[in-house]
Formats: sequence, structure tokens, C-alpha cells
Amino acid sequence: MTLAEELEDLLPANEARFFGELYLSRIEDGTFVASHRNDMEILESLSTVDSLPGLREIAKFDANNEYRPLKTAPGLKDGWKTAAASADEFLKRLDCIYPGLFATWIAYHRGTHDPTPLRDTLDRQTGMYRFAGSITDQMANEIMRDTCSPGCLRKIAWPISSESPVSRLKPGMKSIPVICTEACTFAVSEARKLVKEAYEKANPPAES
Amino acid sequence: MPVSKPNSALLILGHGSTENPDSAQPSWDHADVIAESGQFRSVHCAFWKEEPSFRQVWSMIEEEEIYVVPNFISEGYFTRQVLPRELELEGHTTHLGNRTVHYCDPVGIHATMTDLLIKRAYEIIDHGVKIEETALIIVGHGTNLNKKSTEAITDQVEAIKAKGEPFAEVLDAYMEEAPFIADWKTLTDAPTVVVVPFFIADALHSYQDIPVLLGIEKEITEAASQREIFRQNPYRFGDRTLYYSSAIGTDPSLAQVIVDQVAYFDEHYLS
Repeated sequence: MTLAEELEDLLPANEARFFGELYLSRIEDGTFVASHRNDMEILESLSTVDSLPGLREIAKFDANNEYRPLKTAPGLKDGWKTAAASADEFLKRLDCIYPGLFATWIAYHRGTHDPTPLRDTLDRQTGMYRFAGSITDQMANEIMRDTCSPGCLRKIAWPISSESPVSRLKPGMKSIPVICTEACTFAVSEARKLVKEAYEKANPPAES
Repeated sequence: MPVSKPNSALLILGHGSTENPDSAQPSWDHADVIAESGQFRSVHCAFWKEEPSFRQVWSMIEEEEIYVVPNFISEGYFTRQVLPRELELEGHTTHLGNRTVHYCDPVGIHATMTDLLIKRAYEIIDHGVKIEETALIIVGHGTNLNKKSTEAITDQVEAIKAKGEPFAEVLDAYMEEAPFIADWKTLTDAPTVVVVPFFIADALHSYQDIPVLLGIEKEITEAASQREIFRQNPYRFGDRTLYYSSAIGTDPSLAQVIVDQVAYFDEHYLS
């Protein structure tokens, strides 16, 4: 099945699913509609945004016009909807709000895309991130607890190392899972920061 | 020249930014134009610092043949090391499962960039400005970490000179290495100076950092998309006049350069 067919299958006519902060629904004639989940009761009154650049702008800034570099960070703007007749077009619209998120879930669910352990991600870094791989497991847990958990809606599907246990995420009855199969640039930056802080603490500059 | 790839995907790679909202914009703009043209079955973007990430994007692409074009200025650390590593590519063509991935040259080294830089310089100067009294400065990032980074700029400067354009001088300058763009007033004594940033986007460096180095802003401003007024040329410094253009990567012609890199790949690297 193509990704569009998977989407069509997951969202039959007269059904609805949550997807992150989105509310996805499909009306009787087969039209796909997406809005913020805050707006699920007032779909009729929402203004329609159907262009891909227009939807990317919605995802780019929060209600205070602050830049949202991480699209799965909580804080997607509400007050809009988008409607598409085909699953293919609807998927393009979803990718403007949550780039690649649907495809990531499908690939994971099919078993064609395995999560990358955090240590593998950090160990292959170069340049300014080359020391990020020397984090301790405690630091790794700290990143998940203090950076990932409050800052992102995705559920972590990767283990810390290839030997660490990790449970496989399952599809929801009413929602399409929002998953993270590899640590993102924010987690890698945080790893670098923690390693740097630990090094500086252990090697304080000599007093002149 | 258009290409016809009705069964292939095009993947445009950009740097992106976690701080500046305008960094990825040119890549999306060019992708939308190319998608509309119907030359490829699908067109995608992926970024180092934004989403979809280089690591995520393979799940989004369903075609078996994929052309990857880095929307980067130079061949260097990113195009030679980071992008191939993150996408698991080796050499010009890589077979990943049932996929064939063609890794094209970055847009910045395509031969047509020279004409685009010249066009951009002529576009922003006012009618009546004497070109023979005008210095053209191509400004890049520059870093002492990678010599290739400045090569893209010096190559363009030499190519512009070789075309016999009537500028008083054509110079290269950099943010982080000599000759420094901050020294533009002493790099040339031409009464009029036009500075064209050889960058992909009007983002952190070309829109926020370089204007401070040039002296046209006192401090770093908000991002271009978050200001009500884009800058207005020219700027007067005593008896000198300075024109500063937007980044070359924002030129709509870059969409065609991306396609041209695919055509160049087929002609030179396809085995």
C-alpha cells in the first residue's frame, strides 16, 4: 500500500482520529479535514487554509508569533482547517504541519524503519557535536525527562543503546501515534551541552 | 532546461535553523515551483536543523529512483561529510534496498551561479550609477576550518572577472576570515560598493549578522519575516554609497539551478 492508501485506510468516511494536536476527520463524501483538536467542535466556523505554503506558515509560528523550530513541540496554532478530496493531497497538507510524521509511523509499524539507538546517533556526530557521544546513561535519561518529554509530543521509540530494552509502540484506537524513531537536533545539542558542562566542572579553569 | 522524470523523486537538502524562521524558506519555495512544473513524480525537502530531518525523509519517499540536490553554496564539510553520512550515501549513486539514489552537486557550484550573481548586482543598484565606479563584493561565510568554504566564493569572483563585466573591482570577503567584510570601506576605494551575499537564505548570517558588519544596522535585528519592512538601499557612508542585496539563494532562478544539477548529474555521473 502507498502512504496515501494507508491514510485512507486509517481514516474511513465518517470517522475521526487524533494526530498530535491535530483532529483529522473524514466526512460522508470522503473529503478529508484537519484542524487543531481545540477546534473539533467548531469546524464549520473555521477559516480554510488549503495552500501548502499557508499551512507551513501556521506550523512555523505559535500564537505569539514565536518561531517553532520543532513542529511536534506543543503549541500548534488553532483557528484554521484544511480540507482535501484525495488522501494524496491530504498527506501533503499533514506534512506541512508535521513533516514526515505520518510516514515515520507507517514505516515503523510496517517494520521497515527501525529506531536508531541514542548512542548510535551521538557516536556518528562530527564537528562541534563530536563529544556528544560521551554522555552517561544518567545524562541520557535527563535529556528524555527534561528536554524531550516537556518539549515534544512524540513518544520515544529508540533505546539508549542497542542493548537497552525498549517496548514497541502500538497503534491507537482513536489516534495515529506520534513517534520519535531517532533523537533530533535538540536532543543531540542537549547531549553536547551536558558533556561540556560535566567537562568544565571536572576541569575548572586555573585561577590566574 | 526542464527535465522529465515522471517516475523519480527529487529531494532538496537544506541546512535549516532552530533559531531563524527564514533559513529553510528558499528550499520550500523552490520545491513548490519544481513540484508545480511536474518534472518529477514527487518533490521533497529535508533539513539538518529542521523537519523533516535527513534521517526521517526516506520514509516519506515512495519512488525507487531519487535525485538528491544539496541546496548548499559550497562543496565542503556539509556536502562531503554530513549529508552523505546522515543519508547513508556513498559516491554518486547509492543503492539503498530497492532504491537508487543519485547524489548531485550542490547548487552553489553550478556554472549558472556566476550570471545570477551579476544579475543580482545589476538589479539592486539604481539607474544612473556608474558601473565602472562600482566595486562588487561577493561575501561568504568563510571559516578557517575548511578551505573549500572560500573556494566557492573565489571561483565566482574569478568567473565574474573573466566575463569582462565593467565593475571597477570584483572582490571576495568573508564574515569569519580575511579579507573581512567588516573592512569593506578599506578593501576598495570605489565610491559605490554593491555587496551580494553568496548564501542560500536571508537568515542568520546574511540578514542578521552581515548588516551589522557592514554598518547598516547597529545591532542584530529580528528575522526578515518578523520585521515589517525589508531593508531599503542605498546606504550612505560619507561620500560612499553601499548597496546590499538579499541572499543569492532567494533568487527564483535557483529552482531552475536545482533542476539543472539533476540534468548535470545525468550527463556527467550517471553510469
